[in-house]
Amino acid sequence: MTRSIRWLLVGLAVLLFGAASASAQESPAEPGTAAAAQAAGSAATSAAGPAAIVQKFGGKQSYDETEAVIIELAASGDEAVARALRALRDGDLYWRKGDEAVFIGKRQGDDIAIFDPMTGEPAGAVPRGEMEKVRIKNSIRNAVTTALGSLTLRADNPAQRMRAADTLFSEADPEMIASLGEAIAAEEDTAVRARMQEALASATLVSDLPASEKAEAAKILAARGDRESLSMLTRFAGSTDDPVAKKAAETAIVAIQSNIAFWNQMQNVWYGLSLGSVLLLAAIGLAITFGVMGVINMAHGEMVMIGAYTTYVVQEFIRTSAPGLFEFSLLIALPLAFLASGTVGLVMERFLIRFLYGRPLETLLATFGVSLILQQAVRTIFGPSNREVGNPDFMSGAFDLRLMSVNWNRLWIIVFAMVVFLALLAVLNKTPLGLQMRAVTQNRKMAAAMGIRTPWVDAMTFALGSGIAGIAGVALSQIDNVSPNLGQGYIIDSFMVVVFGGVGNLWGTLVGAMSLGIVNKFLEPYAGAVLGKIVVLVLIILFIQKRPRGLFAQKGRFVDA
Amino acid sequence: MILARFLGPRVWILVAVILAAAILVPLANLWLPADHPLHVPSYLVPLFGKYVCYALLALALDLVWGYCGILSLGHGAFFALGGYAMGMYLMRQIGSRGVYGNPELPDFMVFLNWQELPWYWTGFDQFWFAALMVMLVPGLLAFVFGYFAFRSRVTGVYLSIITQAMTYALLLAFFRNDMGFGGNNGLTDFKDILGFSIQADATRASLFAASCIALALSVLLVGWITRSKLGKLMVAVRDAESRTRFIGWRPEHVKLFAFTVSAVMAGIAGALYVPQVGIINPGEFAPVNSIEVVVWAAVGGRGTLVGPVIGALLVNYGKTVFTGVWPEGWLFILGGLFVFVTLILPRGIVGTIDHGWDAIRATRRARNAEKGEASDSEAAGDPRAVANPAE
Amino acid sequence: MGETSVVQKVADEIRVLSEPQGAAPPPAVSVAGGPADTAEQPDGGLPAQAGASSGPSRPAGAAMDPGTNPATSSAPNTMTSTATKAAEPAVSPHPYASMLREKRLASEANGRARRETLLYLDGVTKSFDGFKAINNLSLVIEKGEMRAIIGPNGAGKTTMMDIITGKTRPDKGEVFFNGDVDLTHHDEAAIASMGIGRKFQKPTVFESHTVEDNIRLSLAGPRSVLEALVHRKDAAERDRIEAILETTRLTARRATIAGGLSHGQKQWLEIGMLLAQDPELLLVDEPVAGMTDAETEETARLLREIARTRSVVVVEHDMHFVRELGVKVTCLHEGSVLSEGTLDKVSADPKVIEVYLGR
Ligand SMILES: Nc1ncnc2c1ncn2[C@@H]1O[C@H](COP(=O)(O)OP(=O)(O)OP(=O)(O)O)[C@@H](O)[C@H]1O
Ligand SMILES: [Mg+2]
Repeated sequence: MTRSIRWLLVGLAVLLFGAASASAQESPAEPGTAAAAQAAGSAATSAAGPAAIVQKFGGKQSYDETEAVIIELAASGDEAVARALRALRDGDLYWRKGDEAVFIGKRQGDDIAIFDPMTGEPAGAVPRGEMEKVRIKNSIRNAVTTALGSLTLRADNPAQRMRAADTLFSEADPEMIASLGEAIAAEEDTAVRARMQEALASATLVSDLPASEKAEAAKILAARGDRESLSMLTRFAGSTDDPVAKKAAETAIVAIQSNIAFWNQMQNVWYGLSLGSVLLLAAIGLAITFGVMGVINMAHGEMVMIGAYTTYVVQEFIRTSAPGLFEFSLLIALPLAFLASGTVGLVMERFLIRFLYGRPLETLLATFGVSLILQQAVRTIFGPSNREVGNPDFMSGAFDLRLMSVNWNRLWIIVFAMVVFLALLAVLNKTPLGLQMRAVTQNRKMAAAMGIRTPWVDAMTFALGSGIAGIAGVALSQIDNVSPNLGQGYIIDSFMVVVFGGVGNLWGTLVGAMSLGIVNKFLEPYAGAVLGKIVVLVLIILFIQKRPRGLFAQKGRFVDA
Repeated sequence: MILARFLGPRVWILVAVILAAAILVPLANLWLPADHPLHVPSYLVPLFGKYVCYALLALALDLVWGYCGILSLGHGAFFALGGYAMGMYLMRQIGSRGVYGNPELPDFMVFLNWQELPWYWTGFDQFWFAALMVMLVPGLLAFVFGYFAFRSRVTGVYLSIITQAMTYALLLAFFRNDMGFGGNNGLTDFKDILGFSIQADATRASLFAASCIALALSVLLVGWITRSKLGKLMVAVRDAESRTRFIGWRPEHVKLFAFTVSAVMAGIAGALYVPQVGIINPGEFAPVNSIEVVVWAAVGGRGTLVGPVIGALLVNYGKTVFTGVWPEGWLFILGGLFVFVTLILPRGIVGTIDHGWDAIRATRRARNAEKGEASDSEAAGDPRAVANPAE
Repeated sequence: MGETSVVQKVADEIRVLSEPQGAAPPPAVSVAGGPADTAEQPDGGLPAQAGASSGPSRPAGAAMDPGTNPATSSAPNTMTSTATKAAEPAVSPHPYASMLREKRLASEANGRARRETLLYLDGVTKSFDGFKAINNLSLVIEKGEMRAIIGPNGAGKTTMMDIITGKTRPDKGEVFFNGDVDLTHHDEAAIASMGIGRKFQKPTVFESHTVEDNIRLSLAGPRSVLEALVHRKDAAERDRIEAILETTRLTARRATIAGGLSHGQKQWLEIGMLLAQDPELLLVDEPVAGMTDAETEETARLLREIARTRSVVVVEHDMHFVRELGVKVTCLHEGSVLSEGTLDKVSADPKVIEVYLGR
């Protein structure tokens, strides 16, 4: 018995380790964020410089003086000034007569809408009379172009050059063609060069260069293959008269469209995996209690909910007494949620479910009653409305992967779901507790005769399943509203996953969750979210007709009983 | 009359009580002066009517659960479908009295800029057609659903879960505006039924009486079914499905019959419910509603005729009282009821009483048998015996 | 169409195979209707296993034929009788088994008393996850025959019954009932209606019904739901029930809820339910498990009585009981026939001693 406890602890440790390693992987992200913060900090310090320099455009001044400011700006090496420079070149840079403050302006009838020259944020509108334009002539324009080119395209930092190329790509500015050409010639980083070539191509399309070069440009854009290229090419194909260039553009459009379609599918798969991992998390505890033990626990969703509320309580506590720990709140919440839900599960098993073994319909009803009580208890304690659970930094934000956008929290949840899954698999297959569990669920009497303490194993199994529902709740608190109804939303889906995947088989649960998630997300664009869900439900109902025992049916005689 | 002996006195008492209520409550409401101690105030009549509809629904569930062993967690769906069919008729009766005054289209369709009535609304201006649909739609759904489910031998909790998924899917579907059933708000603002104002006391009293009569007839119908050889077969299917198969019966047909009849009864209950409460919305499809019905039947005693009726009345009366006193507490009570009734009172109120009674009779019979008297086989052919779940 | 051609095939084969045998009739002494006749069978009459490996497509049936045919039956006779059968409505899943039996009794009265195969299994194989529970099993039960089947645990006895009653579909092999009904194409209810009754290893009765209702539900008759709804008890039904209660000695307990019966009584009730079905063939799985010696003897008597009018297959581990039955015995092992013949012969078989009886 002490051995079994030890093994349970080992199982717990494995789970925790899984969780820890999941968040340990966050550490590469942490230096990243730190670096970003540093970058932001340094930008802030030097931003005082460029912003001040930009202000020098204010007031009456000669062309030479203006040019000097331009050179000074170029020397600052800060690309943040590019906005102001471009505005200057386009004749959109103004200074206010009252205080000589410099703004970017856009004519709006009798008014001028003004924007901050550094950030581009709107700063209201002023009558035309109050603003004075910074005067320019051709030589100034050239100076600006050169400055822009050297400023950004020639920056020392490749990342900065990359960003410059990106900006130029979006701006598709024919004036930059020359600078781009020079930059490309000088560029050594191939990735950056490719990006610059794309920028060049985008500029070429809108320039008055010969049609043959434009056709070449279309090819480069086709290779890039994103939505922006598509709209540029579409615009170009609509406006050009040259048959060759038009043809090239159209071919490119088709290529890009299929590329985009592909990535749309990838995005769907991603959403599907993400939904699937959520379903997996919600269902995996059920795969133990229902799948392995055959106990139909309608309060399973409430175990998830308890886990989510545990997270909330942990964060509240951290907020009031140890704000510094916020980043670790989830990590702290995981074991607590496991314990909280596991304890509730244990109590349920000891005081209710064990009297109902072998009577699945009664178990269903009784546990449903428990779910009502738990919901109402939470509603009474925490109130009926949604509770705010914050995302730690590593869980927030998103990044792009080609044409696909990936949310950090979704990514972590997928990783987390897999870790939980594998840990559980290990517990079931590699530990004595798992062995005993399987023995008891397959032949209770025999197991008892072999000296296994079946009631204890039952209780532990149920507690484990419930505990896992609790840690699923921690994850779900990151993407869903934490309210007393949280669990209800998942219970039917979870049962569908387990039933679809095949009872008593964790792999079935995995495949079931993922395929349901993906099918759901693929149906959504066609049928809408609600109808998609209905279709999935109907499909599952039909599927159960065909294979009443699920995808990965457990084989053997006892399932007929 | 054979039926009289067949059903036993208790069922007849129940029927008599229901019919008496059908007459007395309307009389006490309409004819007794308001200050008379036995006067039933008008607001209570539809409330009682609601209870009676719930009792009918519980009885319908009992036919499949108590007698046939199919724990349906989707009977609310049949109830709601019947309700919607009736609601559609009532909507059409509004005519041009709606907010938008459109003679053809219900208000919500005008609001959604619909130009014409969807095809599936045709005919619902006729009461007979709506009445037919009240039975046909739930019956057909149950038939098709049951056909597939029972044919592939989906049983036990699996069946319960897919019935729950069915009502959940319908819930989602009826929430959609473009389904043409009023979306979130459902169907409401009814004016007339069969030309009588739905608000009038006399109409409400009649609806109450109609509900009672429907309940009484259903009790007799279920009594007839369950006391017949088919009823015994249902119990046999419930207790040992595969055995029935090996003596040549087709349990899937038995179940399909019970499920369909039960769904039609639930549909009728829904249809009577809607004019009395004045609204039908997708909330009626919520899985919780269906599962609540189960507790009514369980409290009263499944596998009995009287139990579900008593259970539905008691639990709903309790709910009304309780939600008045301590609204948040009701869910605690309901949840507790679920636990209590499965753990401590698995036979329900009526079943427990019966069991005690049966035990007494059994000992008496044993004594008679000892004396060498051949026992009366007719008296023993009582199908009320519920497999003892505590064993 | 398919079924008539099968019949034709059977007829042809029987003709071909019985001709040489007809020339040299086996020395079997047959007493029509009684099971004891098999006791004296020569070795040549016990070919099922040997034949299964090398014989023609229906070795068991074919090989069995010469061994058990009364010496009087000649080749043309066999042909005509089978041909007559083929001329009858090809599909015989008649719902009323009793009528089938009447037909059979009538045909016996006609003086054309000869045994025909009632149940015919050939090359049947069934595996569960690669484990062959039934392995190329061939078995023939004659009309009116009683057969005892023995074999170690897991030999596949129950699985064989599952296959015959449609609970399990064989992976391959043929299962024919009454000569031409392919049982693999029918489900449990249809097979039961054709006249195959089954008692389970673990007694299963309708626990919340009275003994009488248990039997009433099993009585042969229409099996439609609507009929059951409007069904009225009548005198004939009452008499049948009475008779069955009498036979199974449950008259005094007719009003008892079946759940309250003792284990042995449940076994008997289940046999009574079988009788009520009026089957042509009874499959009885371990009928005396958990019975006292006296009860066992009673059961053996009951089964012998039943076997006077029907075919019976009894699976049993209790050797005393099998001896009491005094019929031909088939020993199964690892899903196929290990040995077949009289109990003495089978229990003397070294292979049987090795795997089953022990030394
Ligand atoms: N549905 C099934 N799934 C998996 N294995 C099965 C199934 N049915 C039977 N078996 C296996 O087939 C083998 C034969 O079983 P069967 O029940 O027919 O044996 P038996 O001869 O009746 O044994 P016993 O004398 O113990 O009753 C056993 O090993 C059993 O485990
Ligand atoms: Mg067996």
